[in-house]
Parts: sequence; structure tokens; C-alpha cells
Amino acid sequence: MAAAAATAATKGNGGGGARAGAGEASGSRKKKSPGPLATAYLVIYNVVMTAGWLVIAVGLVRAYLAKGSYHSLYYSIEKPLKFFQTGALLEILHCAIGIVPSSVVLTSFQVMSRVFLIWAVTHSVKEVQSEDSVLLFVIAWTITEIIRYSFYTFSLLNHLPYLIKWARYTLFIVLYPMGVSGELLTIYAALPFVRQSGLYSISLPNKYNFSFDYYAFLILIMISYIPIFPQLYFHMIHQRRKVLSHAEEHKKFE
Amino acid sequence: MKHSEVEILDAKTREKLCFLDKVEPQATIAEIKNLFTKTHPQWYPARQSLRLDPKGKSLKDEDILQKLPVGTTATLYFRDLGAQISWVTVFLTEYAGPLFIYLLFYFRVPFIYGHKYDFTSSRHTVVHLACICHSFHYIKRLLETLFVHRFSHGTMPLRNIFKNCTYYWGFAAWMAYYINHPLYTPPTYGAQQVKLALAIFVICQLGNFSIHMALRDLRPAGSKTRKIPYPTKNPFTWLFLLVSCPNYTYEVGSWIGFAIMTQCVPVALFSLVGFTQMTIWAKGKHRSYLKEFRDYPPLRMPIIPFLL
Repeated sequence: MAAAAATAATKGNGGGGARAGAGEASGSRKKKSPGPLATAYLVIYNVVMTAGWLVIAVGLVRAYLAKGSYHSLYYSIEKPLKFFQTGALLEILHCAIGIVPSSVVLTSFQVMSRVFLIWAVTHSVKEVQSEDSVLLFVIAWTITEIIRYSFYTFSLLNHLPYLIKWARYTLFIVLYPMGVSGELLTIYAALPFVRQSGLYSISLPNKYNFSFDYYAFLILIMISYIPIFPQLYFHMIHQRRKVLSHAEEHKKFE
Repeated sequence: MKHSEVEILDAKTREKLCFLDKVEPQATIAEIKNLFTKTHPQWYPARQSLRLDPKGKSLKDEDILQKLPVGTTATLYFRDLGAQISWVTVFLTEYAGPLFIYLLFYFRVPFIYGHKYDFTSSRHTVVHLACICHSFHYIKRLLETLFVHRFSHGTMPLRNIFKNCTYYWGFAAWMAYYINHPLYTPPTYGAQQVKLALAIFVICQLGNFSIHMALRDLRPAGSKTRKIPYPTKNPFTWLFLLVSCPNYTYEVGSWIGFAIMTQCVPVALFSLVGFTQMTIWAKGKHRSYLKEFRDYPPLRMPIIPFLL
């Protein structure tokens, strides 16, 4: 779902802001791009993120070739994965200050769910790091993010190749379910270790009169995928129909 | 006397929904809404929004047809506000829940805690005190809903009752579970802490009630007038000098008092969430006051003196 949310939620990291400025006529919906400074910053941000996820992709391939197997590749890309996925927190800031026309709530949800999986599950429960399910969601995220960030970069520069737009609105069909499966399997694999170690859990009695069962919390998270994932998935399918049929007419001029 | 004609169009589709001839020019929007309901009974007046412009603001029930910028044939646009429920109903339901739910935990009704604790009583004084405070708070709210508050709007969208009740009932159960738990730990600084917190709670409850009474007295029964609230002889209302919504200030204070008294994290979280929501409301109210009244006292902040 972290995979699903990433593509569904954001309208773009730039590429056509929709905020009416203070001095502009209200009533009509004017699309106002972020100023030149903000655009430059966003282009740099999106290029850096594209590069970062490319590094992760290359790292995976090299590790696979070196080891001869696809098991336990997480360790070879652990640091850039943590760095670049955590860096995406900036996107919440971009929405909050208005240089990106997406909802702060939706973007927060999307980024936090990724960050949660990276730090609160994979990093915190060392025993799952060698699971194949981790590779499943890392690959899904890597491909999705390379396409997504290059999509934003090109959009900001007003030169979006149809291929990128097609890729963004088509590959999710496979990458979403793949990412969701990887995420769910990883959380499921972490459960027994969380139960055993009492990770992030606090029980009564204590002076804060509070208790938290991380094991139960993780199960709730897994259950929440059931209502949320289909909504995001079908939203993207709907978007695909809108965007690609519209783009067909303009394809010749790209 | 010249009668007016009113045609009502759907704001989205511009479809002609109703044509009223022979309307008195002095008719109010409320009366027009009643006439409209006759032809479309599923749209009772509370769920009608009539406006002069499809994207414009809703007209008020008290507005008079003659005084609007329309000719002898007025064109009004209609929007369905969705199923409505009265504010009183929502308030009573959302407040009765916590009152009842908390008591279930206080009396340790079976299936909440282990069987050996069924219907047992806590040995900590503060737990009994907390029950009294919590119950008093919600009884006060229920009574205020019935006898004190004068609402501007009669109704709100139906879905609000589910949202609001989930919030109030959910948090009440969560707090009550820990406070009444057999393994509850009383406050670190003992009776001193409890006494101080209780004092804060009581003062803020009195303050909150005083503000509600002052606001009620601003508005005559059955009217919807709005005036700038000012301090009265009651010292609790002097907070109006510094804050637009002292009722919210006192409410936050009450819950902070309750949190200190019970030393319970869920109570602190409930206070925080409530504070966030009330701050949003207070800022909105403050903005409306500033827009509506040129002479609004400049020293006032929305909810926290000098700060917020």
C-alpha cells in the first residue's frame, strides 16, 4: 500500500501548481505554477531522487550478479534505500508550503507508510531483512519511484515523453500488487519476533497508565490494507483512463 | 398587490425544478423552502440550500424576497445539503455515550477486565474522583444542550453523528479503560497532585459554564443575532478581555486538569486532539468576528491569551 499510495496520491512534485495567488481573481480555477526559484528547487529535488533510486536499482543488479542469487540483497542497498526513502519526507513540506499542488494529508499518509515499513519493520526487526518479501517490495518501489520522479522532472520542464507518462500510468498495474504483497509478507514475517521480544510495546502497570501492543498494532495495519489498497488501485485505474486517452490525441506532438 | 414569481433551478444541472407563482413579495426564504417541499417532499427545508448564484452563498431563512436583488420573477438555485439531523440530537447522543460508557468501566462490568475483577471497586480515591469529574462534565454538557445553548443552525449533515460519536465514545472508552484498570497507578505526587488538578478542573468547569451563560444572554430566545461578547460581572467572563472563545480555553483547561489528576496518557492525547480541533474552531470564530465587527477589540487572541 505504501507502493500503491506513492503513485496514486500525488498530482506531481511540481509541474503545474494550482494555487490561486493572493492578488488573483477568485472564482475561476487558475493553474499557477510555482515561482522560478521553487521550480528550480523542485527540478533538482526530483533529479536527485531519480538518481538515488537508480543507484538502488543498479546496486540490486550488481549485488545479484556478484552473489549469483536473489536472496538477501537488502543488505547491499540498505543505506541508499533508507536515505532516499526517508528523504521523501520533504515532499510533505513541499505540499505544506504550497509549491506542490497535492494534499498534505494524502502525501503524509503515503510517505509515512513507506517510512514506517523501512524503519519500524525492516530496520527494527533484523530477522526479516533476509526475507525474500523485502526484495519484492524494494523492486516494486524502485521501479515505481524511478518512473515517478522522472515524470515529475520532465513535467516541471514541460517536456514529458509519452513513454514516461505511459509507464507511470501502466506499470502500476503489476507493481502495486507486487509491492503490497512484499509489504504484507514482510510485516507478517516480523510478527513472531515482535511478540517474542516485546518490541515497541509497553504493558501495565506503569506510571503513565498506558499500554501499547506493537504486535496487535501490526495486525491492525495489515487489516487496513483491505479497505485502502483497492481504493488506491482503482483510483489509479480511473486516472489511467483519463490521462492516457487524453494523451493519445497529443502523442504525435510530444 | 403585485405578486412575485419564483423559479427554482438545480444549481448543478440548471434543470428547472419548480415554479412558484403568486408568491408574496414579503415572503421569507423559509416560506419559499416550505413551498418547495410541497412539490419535492424528499427535500425538507433543512436540507435545502437556496442561493441567487449557483456557486454563491446560501440565502438565510430570514431573508425577505422583496429585499433581494431580483425582479418580479426571482431565479433561485437549489443545492441538496444531504440528509440532516438536528444539532440537539447529535449533541445529546455524542454526550450521553461517554457518560454511560465510562460508568461501564468504572463498575468493572464483566468481559472488560479479568473475571476476578468483575464488579469490584478500585482502592484508589483518585479513581472515584475521576469518575465523579468525568460524569459531572458530561451531565453538565447534556444539561447545557437542553437548557442553555442557543444554536445558530438547526441541523447538520447526518454523517456527522457517526463521526462525532466515534470520536467521543471511542476516546471515553479508551480513557476509562486505563483509569479504572485494576493495575492503575495513582499519580506520582499523590494527594497534592490530585488536589491541584481537581482545583484546575473545577475552576475551568465553572469558567466554561459562565461563558456559556454569557453567550446565551447575548442572544434573545428564538433569534439568531450575533454580537460581540464582553466581560460581565462574573470574574470568569473577564477572560473575554484576552480571548475570543474563552469557553474553549476553559474546556482545554478542564481536560488538562483531568489529565494531571489521572496521570494517564490517553487523557493527555484526548486533550491534545480536542485542543487542536478547538483551536481551529476558535480561529474561525475569531476571523468571523473580525470580519463582521469593525470595532472588534484588538487585544483578543482566538483561544490562548497573547499566544494563539
